[in-house]
Amino acid sequence: MTTTTELPDVRAARDRAGKIALLRRRTTAYWLILPSVLFLGAIVFYPLVVGLAEGFRNHNRLQPWLIRFNGIDNYVKALGDREVLLALRTSFVMVIGIVGLSYLLGLAGALVLDRQFRGRGVYRALILVPWVIPPVVAYISWQWMLNDQSGVINNVLLQLGLIDHPVLWLADPRLAMVSLIAVGTWSRFPFMTITILAALSAIDREITDAAAIDGANKWQIFRSITFPMILPISVIGTLLQAIWTFNDFGLPFVLTGGGPANATTPLILLSYKEAFQRYNIGYGTSLAIISMVLMLGLGAIYLRMQKRQGVYE
Amino acid sequence: MRGHAAVSPPAVRTDRVVPGAPARSTVVSRRRPHAGRRAVGLAGTHVAMILVCGFALAPLLWAISSAFKSDSEIMTGISLVPTHPTLDHFRAVIAESGFARWFLNSLLVSVGVTFLSIVVGSLAGYAMSRWRFRGRGLYGNSLLAVQMFPGVMLAIPMYLLLTRFGLIDTLFALLVTYLTFALAFSVWMLKGYFDGIPREIEEAALVDGLTRLGALRHVILPLAGPGIVTVAVNAFLLSWNEFFFAYVFLASSEKFTLSLGLYSFIQQFTTQWGNIMSAGVLSTIPVLIFFFALQKSLTRGLVSGATKG
Repeated sequence: MTTTTELPDVRAARDRAGKIALLRRRTTAYWLILPSVLFLGAIVFYPLVVGLAEGFRNHNRLQPWLIRFNGIDNYVKALGDREVLLALRTSFVMVIGIVGLSYLLGLAGALVLDRQFRGRGVYRALILVPWVIPPVVAYISWQWMLNDQSGVINNVLLQLGLIDHPVLWLADPRLAMVSLIAVGTWSRFPFMTITILAALSAIDREITDAAAIDGANKWQIFRSITFPMILPISVIGTLLQAIWTFNDFGLPFVLTGGGPANATTPLILLSYKEAFQRYNIGYGTSLAIISMVLMLGLGAIYLRMQKRQGVYE
Repeated sequence: MRGHAAVSPPAVRTDRVVPGAPARSTVVSRRRPHAGRRAVGLAGTHVAMILVCGFALAPLLWAISSAFKSDSEIMTGISLVPTHPTLDHFRAVIAESGFARWFLNSLLVSVGVTFLSIVVGSLAGYAMSRWRFRGRGLYGNSLLAVQMFPGVMLAIPMYLLLTRFGLIDTLFALLVTYLTFALAFSVWMLKGYFDGIPREIEEAALVDGLTRLGALRHVILPLAGPGIVTVAVNAFLLSWNEFFFAYVFLASSEKFTLSLGLYSFIQQFTTQWGNIMSAGVLSTIPVLIFFFALQKSLTRGLVSGATKG
């Protein structure tokens, strides 16, 4: 009898000990992530909450007596603000131009680099230079090359006789956008090249060889075998690039300053100008929130695709 | 935040089938009959690569070239090689401005972020690799989501908060911010490496009396060398190159990092492109050294991390 009454006790005790051990082990995990959680909380989530609240306030630092909650007024104002609509258009033109071109150039570069030839490693390293050097240095250098008075691009074109007077690369509204897209492509294509190259090297050569033996030409092989196999990575890379380009402050700010006449001011730059140059903290934040919500959609697709690819498990 | 901050495991992951490479050599030998066509193809390959690399290197090469040119040559010359190379611009930059100070500030912040992102990242990466704790998915996704927030969205409230706590215009504020943005990459990358290290190794260490942290420090980390190099390069590049947060947080010239100092240079020197370019070249040298010195192990790290992943 005693044994039967004791047995559950013993088991319960053992269970409890096991649970404590398990708990302690789990607690270890929490201790380990704690430092990073603190940083995330302090630098991202707390400011995020404060920012979300700011987006619903009338907050101008020059008129502190007028600070108050104003509901969705900022957003209503934004929808009717021509400057905002122009900036949104600029953002989309920038993103489509830069991401599209950097994908095409990245794909071309990756297809060439995927071949086996001497010097491949050197090219692969050199292509990464735009990804490594400080963006401010690069944008200033581009600004100098595109300078209409003494920039090397105009000087070369003039000496070759291709143009008879300097082209206003950064001073003409349309050309400034073209320049911005060109420089943006320059800064983004290395990432695309390396990403696509990695996907290409994962393709089993036997498949493409078999197709070649069966009489498929290069274009057919690319269209029906290679491209479908790099498509998932392409979509992920493109989404990520689109988000970064949309959020890119440095490129328009340093290269063109958003000008001439706001022609190259994307939404993110306008949001900055509202908050820090016109001191409209509330309104500026609401514009940043609009950008964030727009990117959240792309971000959700990105996370889902990443998960399906099994990268993060 | 610029692209550096990002986790780019797609590239990492898919590199895994590199062992498939031998299959290619058989293809090449099979194509040998068309040697002539191959030579043309090879020439085309090099031409294409030189064009692409030329585009990639253009601003850097032109900056280097301008930095060595005399003021008279700089405005009209279209030659990449300076006819009368001079060091005047470099002297002017080092002597005249707070350049040395900015360099030191950048170095301080970047080295700090690099070190801390390895420490904090390996702790969290270890937890992600070895435990299935509640909130693990949420935590991992939060890290990924961070790199998609617009910097401006965070900068406005952070500016208000830092001002309130008296931390605005300090390098500390920058360090903590960069560290946080570097974490996503560090944690996920190191987690991938730790996954590839068999548990038996650390269990043996635990039996021998090491604590969990001791096992991580003395057994796991030494085995994850290439992963740590990758994390270090990413953190260093991110903090060395970052401009936006530095521009928002820092006000006094003696606190500037290089990116910010360079930007202030354009205002100060307006058309003295020789000075501006030599400052640019000087601030690019450390990342180039860092990158090319570690480029091999970086690639190896990415590949082996992927095969284990």
